[in-house]
Amino acid sequence: GLVQSCGHIIPESPVLALGSNFTALCILNESCLDFGNIYANQIIWKIKNRVVPKEQYREINRTVSSVTFNDTSSLATPLTCNVLADGQIEQNIYGITVTLGLPPEKPKNLSCIVHQLSKLTYPMTCTWNPGRHTFLDTHFKLKYRWPRENFPDCIPKDANNSCTISDVQFFVNLEVWVEVANALGKNESDRLVFDPIEIVKPLSPHNLSVNSGILPTVLKLSWENRISTAVMKLKFNIRYRIINETNWMQVPSEDTASPRTSFSVQGLRPYTEYVFSIRCMKEDGVGYWSDWSEEKTGVTTED
Amino acid sequence: LGAGQSIQKTYDLTRYLEHQLRTLAGTYLNYLGPPFNEPDFNPPRLARAEQVPSATVDLDLWRGLTDNARLAANYRAYSRLLCYLRGLDGQAGTAELRHRLGHFCSSLQGLVVSIAGVMSSLGYPLPAGPAGPPLPPGAPAAPNDFLKKMDDFWLLKELQTWLWRSAKDFNRLKKKVPPAVVTLRLEARGF
Repeated sequence: GLVQSCGHIIPESPVLALGSNFTALCILNESCLDFGNIYANQIIWKIKNRVVPKEQYREINRTVSSVTFNDTSSLATPLTCNVLADGQIEQNIYGITVTLGLPPEKPKNLSCIVHQLSKLTYPMTCTWNPGRHTFLDTHFKLKYRWPRENFPDCIPKDANNSCTISDVQFFVNLEVWVEVANALGKNESDRLVFDPIEIVKPLSPHNLSVNSGILPTVLKLSWENRISTAVMKLKFNIRYRIINETNWMQVPSEDTASPRTSFSVQGLRPYTEYVFSIRCMKEDGVGYWSDWSEEKTGVTTED
Repeated sequence: LGAGQSIQKTYDLTRYLEHQLRTLAGTYLNYLGPPFNEPDFNPPRLARAEQVPSATVDLDLWRGLTDNARLAANYRAYSRLLCYLRGLDGQAGTAELRHRLGHFCSSLQGLVVSIAGVMSSLGYPLPAGPAGPPLPPGAPAAPNDFLKKMDDFWLLKELQTWLWRSAKDFNRLKKKVPPAVVTLRLEARGF
């Protein structure tokens, strides 16, 4: 064009915090001064194609002009430095992109749960509140370690508020926290210290079977637990209802508060079909209830 | 963590490891194939297997140790056993077996961390220096496949015995240290 590369803007492509103030400098090349008869006081700053009010300019010297924004919220991309060359043709000297955003807030409400997947597979999922939207590329990492042992970070895949560690270990206290960073800063959540055995949601009991007994008011349930007693001892809830009715009744919790694989439900109506379902959790009540098992029916004998 | 709680967790972890090893060893020996998976297979301990910390100890001697010395012996043994365990065939059998080996390795690593936690909660220093390289410097890898399998066989056998005895050690230690070491602060009232 009429004017070759006659200058540049500092800073090159800034990332700025919304609401902060910002000053840019347009620096003309000495060569252009002689050739193009261009001076800093002829510079016109523009946002997109909108001229920046002259009160925001300042001529630093023959070759340098600055522009200041008290609140970057009014800024947009590109910010250009232009000059009215001879013959009053406005010529672009240089332009920069401006990225506006916010530093990451402290991640809050970090919590974790271990969902049992199989007899030996215990992934742990941690979730947190990522804080306000930052409008910037913001990276979260779930960090976890033992007192003398660090583990590889868990990098969230498609969400910024949760991460799943594929296989967690029990009976050793784990320290867990979230780190977050973007171009405007870093932050980190409070740290949790817990033994993953205390946040397990076990698989529900399965292969539930219901058998009538000698007494017409009793049905015997048996089932298989899917978590080994070496991992945890279980307690149970058993609920039942008369088929075609909707309200569930529940065996008193204290009656099923110890490890078992069967239970005789008493006080039932003779010659009646019942639906049963069972769930389990760690015997000491630390952790989460499993889902309810598949429902199974049984019929009491005639009186 | 208080000492009592730390010991309880270490005990639970040891039992959990025993549980895992019970099925894992069987599956791995089946992967090694005959004669290693035959119930009455009882080979002599070759010189090579000497490097695996032997679980065979003089019980009176073992019982006569101080708690500190016994914990330190456990710590050193599992640190070395962990190194050997990581040397097990990484391509072992099925993905399921590899997953279980990996899980067991992490659990054993947790036991080393846990024992260290117990020792520091009781005010004992950790055994100095690294737990020792998997194989003494200069010792050749198993010259052939059969001897490599023999190493693996002895490793699993020793691990089972170590875990069995460690569970007893921690169970005994658990009883010595009350669950919550209560610091009784005597309020000087008129004494």
